[in-house]
Amino acid sequence: MKPFAYVKAANEQQALAALSRERGRVLPLAGGMDLVALLKDNIATPDRLVNVKGLDATITAADGGLRIGAATRLIDLQMHATVASQYKALAEAAGEVGTPQIRNLGTVGGNLLQRPRCWYFRNEEFPCLKKGGARCYSVDGENQFHAILGGGPCYIVHPSSLAVPLIAFNASFRIAGPRGEKQMPAEEFFELPDRNLFGETALRADELVTHVMLPPATAVKSATYEVRFKQSHDWPIAFASVALQMQGATVGSARVVLGAVAPIPWRAPAAEAVLQGQTVSQALAVKAAEAALADASPMSQNAYKVQVARTAVKRAILHAAGLTV
Amino acid sequence: MADETTPGTGEGQVAEVAAPATANPNSPYAWPQERRLLSSRVNRIDGTLKVAGQARYSYDMNRPGMLYGRILRSPHPHARVVSIDLGPAKATRGVRSALAIVEPGAKVMYVGDEIAAVAAVSEDVARDAIRAIRVQYEVLPFLATVEQALRPEAPSVFQGGNVKESQVEEEGNVQAGFAAAAHVVEQAYNTQVQTHVSLETHGCVCEWDGARLTAWVSTQAVHGTREGFATGLNIPQADVRVITEHMGGGFGSKFGPDVQGITCARLAREAKAPVHLMLDRREEHLAAGNRPSAYARIKAGVSAEGMLTAFEADTWGTGGAGAASGFPLPYIYTFPNRRRVHRDVYINAGQQRAMRAPGHPQGCFITEMLMDELADRLKMDPVEFRVRNLPPQAPNAQWREYFKIGAQRFGWDKRHATGDPTPGPIKRGVGCAANRWGGGGRGTQAQCEILPDGGVVIRCGTQDLGVGTRTLMAIITAETLGLPLTAIKVELGDSNHPFSGGSGGSTTAPAVSPAIRVTASKALAELAARVAPALGVPADQITASDGRVHVKGNPSSGLTWADACRHLQTTPVSVNGQWEAGLSASGTSGVQFAEVEVDIETGVAKVTRILCVQDCGLVVNQLAAESQCIGGMIMGVGYALYEDRILDRNTATMVNPNMEWYLVPGMSDVPAIEVMLMNQPERGVIGIGEPPTISTAAAIANAVANAIGVRVRSLPLTPHKVLAALDGERAGGTL
Repeated sequence: MKPFAYVKAANEQQALAALSRERGRVLPLAGGMDLVALLKDNIATPDRLVNVKGLDATITAADGGLRIGAATRLIDLQMHATVASQYKALAEAAGEVGTPQIRNLGTVGGNLLQRPRCWYFRNEEFPCLKKGGARCYSVDGENQFHAILGGGPCYIVHPSSLAVPLIAFNASFRIAGPRGEKQMPAEEFFELPDRNLFGETALRADELVTHVMLPPATAVKSATYEVRFKQSHDWPIAFASVALQMQGATVGSARVVLGAVAPIPWRAPAAEAVLQGQTVSQALAVKAAEAALADASPMSQNAYKVQVARTAVKRAILHAAGLTV
Repeated sequence: MADETTPGTGEGQVAEVAAPATANPNSPYAWPQERRLLSSRVNRIDGTLKVAGQARYSYDMNRPGMLYGRILRSPHPHARVVSIDLGPAKATRGVRSALAIVEPGAKVMYVGDEIAAVAAVSEDVARDAIRAIRVQYEVLPFLATVEQALRPEAPSVFQGGNVKESQVEEEGNVQAGFAAAAHVVEQAYNTQVQTHVSLETHGCVCEWDGARLTAWVSTQAVHGTREGFATGLNIPQADVRVITEHMGGGFGSKFGPDVQGITCARLAREAKAPVHLMLDRREEHLAAGNRPSAYARIKAGVSAEGMLTAFEADTWGTGGAGAASGFPLPYIYTFPNRRRVHRDVYINAGQQRAMRAPGHPQGCFITEMLMDELADRLKMDPVEFRVRNLPPQAPNAQWREYFKIGAQRFGWDKRHATGDPTPGPIKRGVGCAANRWGGGGRGTQAQCEILPDGGVVIRCGTQDLGVGTRTLMAIITAETLGLPLTAIKVELGDSNHPFSGGSGGSTTAPAVSPAIRVTASKALAELAARVAPALGVPADQITASDGRVHVKGNPSSGLTWADACRHLQTTPVSVNGQWEAGLSASGTSGVQFAEVEVDIETGVAKVTRILCVQDCGLVVNQLAAESQCIGGMIMGVGYALYEDRILDRNTATMVNPNMEWYLVPGMSDVPAIEVMLMNQPERGVIGIGEPPTISTAAAIANAVANAIGVRVRSLPLTPHKVLAALDGERAGGTL
């Protein structure tokens, strides 16, 4: 492991002061669930780590919604009464992350900013595009877990479990940096590889995500449905979060977002349009799921993910509406 | 370079050939008719140590001044080493020794092949130092997959060819067999490469005292490993001591010092300090062995009455770089007319090693899938069909009986025909499969001391792989001496102890148990001789039970154990004994039933229930034998559904050399497991380490087919393959 300096930041100001503009030189350390492995595998080689465990770790009511500190542990998010009752899709997604040990140490900020799990990216032997190399090995390689939507020139799938329901709830992120603070919709935060090959988000190296802002979710029915092979520690093959803004028995508006299918959390406006103004039924959910995956463009070995993702969307819609699968 | 021999594994080993199917009731050391501890449920005597984290594994050894070793491995699947410059590593602060494992000019044959090594003050420093070593390679053409190796235009990578054809196995008249068939099935099947995934990785701690080497090794053979160190280092065997106090599994992959052991000893000698060199998980997957893949194209015939008539198979598989890939086929069932050709296909990947019932899970999966396909053609119940085609009943061939018992217990009569007719996405199904194994052993020696203060030490140079051998030795000694378990001190896992062979081929229990019985009996006879004057009867009239040494048939006429031992005064009883024929045997049979749930909208299969009916002769410890079954079946769940060594087809580099993407079952993936252990006291002790893992994947695969109505003929049964199989039936899948 490359030696690095270590700074413990007592607060946001100190943390920002310790960061650097140059990508990869200084990295924030919170739960360390992802970063420590990246360091050990020589994928991340920073000069300095900044301990940001001192950032806000509280969940508070704000503007009718919630303000979640980035240092909040996943277990605390999952167990929070308001999250569990009003933002069910988020609580469900938090509960699906990793293992109890990971949920006990991993943070909200870390989950959003973790690096891709692509096995070509994670293995040092492969100098892949994302690491500055010449090719994406997945294109004609082992791509059974890679992107079926939005891929190219790199075909990772975004690893965050929380990003997907957060976009479904139309959350935004508070970002602090040397130029002050700003708020950015979660949906705009994540960037496709054709725009940002070496990172996955709009966050600059000298900025921090300090809070997640959740808008009010009254009369919102939501659910996350994750399909994974193993029941114990495993990554999803595909998952979906659905938030239905109800008007009586019909869907006023819907947000449908897919995870583990694209290099970013993948919003499916076509599926949302199918749901809008309708009463949820099995047939409607099937139609929305088909619309969500209509543009899927699978690689040589991952066509099955289209079917899996369709199922995830269908079941998330049905779960959100309180119907059995 | 990997150069691995695995003595004592596989069912064809010498130790098993002569082992009879039953024990000799007239042996002077015959197992007692009334068993007090034997065949009961005994907790591990080292269980508390283990759960408290106090059991010392080789990995845990921490010697004064100890250094940490790491090995530099080839990043290329096939290359010639042009030069190795250790200079930058040696110049790294904290590095105490560095050496080349191969010389310039040598070839590396797979990603992970050993190149050089360093020892340093910490593992981190050692990891960084090997990265500083400069190696020049001449990169050579390579083969990343079996398909690549089989292409006519494939580059010639291996001396003597990339493919080695075996002799034809033939019996009867295949042509006549097919002529007699009412139904013929022609299908192709395959299994993946599975790695051992021992929780404790390979490696050791080596410490020199002058010319003498002590090595704490994670090994299945302390004596064999002593020999391996002596040969590898060119030193006398008498100067080597190998210790394995506790061990975290080997499954057939740990029989010698290996390259890392010899390297560790060399680093320690050069650094003049103890060195700890344990592999990491990536190295385990790349270079520490695996179960070869298996492919089969089969044509098989069956008569209208449901009798097998003919079998013709073309099979192949890869054991990696220059290693074999054989497996038994057909498995168990009687095909009167058969012909089979097998080819070993070499690719540039880590070599296979013996893995828990080498060959059998592959042969079992392929044969049992075929059996269900034939039963479907006949529209005959799969159990009924199997029973008709089994070999004759024998002590080591009880499948008929076990299928009957198991089917009843499992609720087989509730089985639906292939394809669950229940509406909805979740389909349930059941399947079954049989297994056979040898499990005989011999040659173990032991020593028993009875001390004047009443203490008892039983000592044997076997090793406890985590399976309960230590407890087995205590049970047999306590049973024989009429003492409680806690009165026995067990010493094992040391090459300075009396010889015992490697723990492979399920040979440990049948080799060790008789030796302990004989040795403890001899110690008791010696004690009897020493106290006979005090009891006033001849020694052969004295026995021990319930903590007393007494006249046979008259427990009140005697002494307490402690008082009897006081008669030893200053000279303990110290006797040696060894394995004798008549107390153990060979040959087991078993069957398994599995129940699965398959979500046909996601392709995800989940095993919900497994039943195993298994024998292993005289059960020594019911609890430990059941644990072996449970562990074997969990491993079988991994083989059926999850485990797969995935090589990148373009670089021959493993993409999942970890436990994040190399999936093994976790707690939530383990089904309800029931074990019906069939005790056969009249047969003596037989090993059970391997058979329970053989038929699990086959039973699960048949259950999946029974659930979804289509057959996935390839392991592991991933969502990808399940959905593809369903798509073949119902274009576009279902939603």
